Amino acid sequence: MKKRKCEKRSKALRVIALATVLALTAGAVGGCAGGKDKDAQGRTRVSVVWPQKEGPSLDKMEARKVTYEENNPDAVIERDSWQFDLKTFYAKAAGGQLPTVYDTNFTEIPQIIASEYSADLTDVLKKRGYEGKLSDKVLEVISRDGKIYALPYTAYVLGLGYNTEMFEAAGLMEPDGTPKQPKDWNEVAEFAQKIKAATGKPGFVFPTANNNGGWIFTSLAWSFGAEFVKQDADGNWQAAFNSPEAAEALQYIKDLKWKYDVLPSNILVDDKEYYKTFATGNAGMIITAGDYPRKVVQYDMQPEQSGIMAIPAGPKRHVTLMGGGVCCIAPNSTEDQIDAAVRWIEMTTNFNATDEYKDSVKKDIEIKLGENQLIGIKDMSIWSADTEAVEYRNGLIDKNANINTNHVKLYNEFVENMPCEVQAEVPVCAQELYGILDNCIQEVLNNENADCAQLLESAASEYQTNYLNNIDY
Amino acid sequence: MKVSRNKPGTATLKKKRWTRSDTTAWLLMLPMVLVMYLMIWRPTVMGAVWSFFKMKGYSVDKFIGLENFRLVVTNTQFLPTLWNTVQYVFWSLVIGFLPPVVIAVILNEMVHFKSGFRVTIYLPAVIPGIAGMLMWYYIYYPDQTGLLNMLFGKLGIEPFNWLNNSKFVIPGIVIYMSWQGFAGTMLLYYASVQSVSAELYEAALIDGAGIWKRAWHVTRPQLAGILLLNLVRQIIAVFQVMEQPLAMTGGGPNGASISLAYQLYLYGFNSGGKATGQAMALGVIIFLILIVFTCFYFWINKRIEDNY
Repeated sequence: MKKRKCEKRSKALRVIALATVLALTAGAVGGCAGGKDKDAQGRTRVSVVWPQKEGPSLDKMEARKVTYEENNPDAVIERDSWQFDLKTFYAKAAGGQLPTVYDTNFTEIPQIIASEYSADLTDVLKKRGYEGKLSDKVLEVISRDGKIYALPYTAYVLGLGYNTEMFEAAGLMEPDGTPKQPKDWNEVAEFAQKIKAATGKPGFVFPTANNNGGWIFTSLAWSFGAEFVKQDADGNWQAAFNSPEAAEALQYIKDLKWKYDVLPSNILVDDKEYYKTFATGNAGMIITAGDYPRKVVQYDMQPEQSGIMAIPAGPKRHVTLMGGGVCCIAPNSTEDQIDAAVRWIEMTTNFNATDEYKDSVKKDIEIKLGENQLIGIKDMSIWSADTEAVEYRNGLIDKNANINTNHVKLYNEFVENMPCEVQAEVPVCAQELYGILDNCIQEVLNNENADCAQLLESAASEYQTNYLNNIDY
Repeated sequence: MKVSRNKPGTATLKKKRWTRSDTTAWLLMLPMVLVMYLMIWRPTVMGAVWSFFKMKGYSVDKFIGLENFRLVVTNTQFLPTLWNTVQYVFWSLVIGFLPPVVIAVILNEMVHFKSGFRVTIYLPAVIPGIAGMLMWYYIYYPDQTGLLNMLFGKLGIEPFNWLNNSKFVIPGIVIYMSWQGFAGTMLLYYASVQSVSAELYEAALIDGAGIWKRAWHVTRPQLAGILLLNLVRQIIAVFQVMEQPLAMTGGGPNGASISLAYQLYLYGFNSGGKATGQAMALGVIIFLILIVFTCFYFWINKRIEDNY
């Protein structure tokens, strides 16, 4: 009796074990399925990064999918739960698991192109009439050896963000709500002192950590006449910021802390801390781009509390840094997929004001209004000439502005007339450079006796030895 | 017949054939073995193998011998980072090694509110890591809104810049780590202390030993084994410190809190795929350093098991 029970039990165990193995195998095989570029009905599959949280953004994408599939019966949009993140991007790309369309930013695109993780769009874009349409500045960022590898959807330049209430308190506001524009960095320091005197809060905040400090510092230092890298005749890159100009720029940051005393006490300021400090009224001014409202809304900064104006000039140049967002297409996509994907991207970035584009812009603004984001700031145009689409977008922004537009008037004029030079980021080892510059900034804010020239001398040598000398692409 | 076949040490056992129950056992183990293979063994071995290859993003490109190791070791930040890591270990031993023992002994000697104290002391261990780090970030916040500086303010002392101070940053992070981790270790010690025979204490009492003498002559010898084990375990664990500086300081100020494991993370995930090979090479270097401690750990562990 006992023996039979044992046999029964062992039989049951074998069945369970076998079932488990089968289930696992089926799972593994199931995981391998897919990857074909056509679905059962012969439509081209385009997988797209999809919002995961329920809300207006998800609703917008769902509606966009319906419209797209109605107008493009040869293609089908598939939702992909991955969001662009540098930590997972290269692993996904190496595994051939990228969605057909993914978006990234100007900083990352040179390395993505170098790694061949973005498809060549040149032919498709030519076929669709993009030749000569994209602005040279933007083209410089998204192409390599004459080939285009991404389609930008937004471009912005750095300006000077400010807290309207603190400006008002410090007497830095005209009666109509237009801020006084500091012409140069010395005036920024003066303004910051006035704000501190009037409100007791730091007049300015500068980022210092997680590469954000270095990123902003490069654009500040350009205006002092500094350069960061130079390419010699053999094509080798040389660190060039061990210069008096760069030292002068670093000295300026040091003076903000030790001479003018207008910075917050915390010297470890990453992106989050940077925007939190500004959004919670703990700093009067900030160097930021026109897309900053989305970063401060989570701290409940009201649209009326903030504004933005032109970037001040430095002693040598008036220059600002250009950044932006781009859509890329996975490198293993077929020609049909690239074509269908570009049509999908065109719904949000288009030089013609198509109905789809108009609808997308309208919904975008509605979503931002719903989140209580500031509406009124205009982007830099990615196109080489005036287009209907930009006109439509700007008109809609004016119509839906939820602030006194004088708060952002100086930035909008700055973007439209672009009275200064626009420079793209350092094309090689940018993140590494920013990390090294972060350390220099932290040191001068921590140590009153730090020698700026000496610091940059060793930083440049570190950058050269550890990174520039080892570039192999 | 059955008994003799299963008798240990007999020749038949050595020649034992593959039986049905073996098949069942392996089938049942297979999912776990697969998971271990995919998640632990394969990545570990391949990580070591690929550290000798040039990587293109995360794809293997070509064999380059020791080039990745050369790049890691000749990086001007390698030695400072190694030194920081040693400092983490040093401070964690100074700050975090003894308190759990002391608290375990005190708890054991307590007559009233024993369980109440036990629960209270264990609380930090149930606070999720990131929440704890953020809490300490604000405790250490360098202006007047930081908790410690508020206390300083009440005492009329100038605010201190805590984690912004390159000399304090590592001990500061270690204080948080010790606060977070000591409760678990304390429970281990507490269990050991409780297993000390009451008769030994009674005998010591009769001999006129006070609390210190009892702790030294009775409790300490009983705890020696587990103390040594935890010492090695702590060295191994703290040597791999990463998420605390990542979340609390970003490695600053001026690189003063970057550890080897954090540098590995930067190579792997913050280099835009350029330094994946170097990340794996650094992983191998950390592994080689730790394997020494690990062998020592197993050697001690075996000796302790043999003794007790």
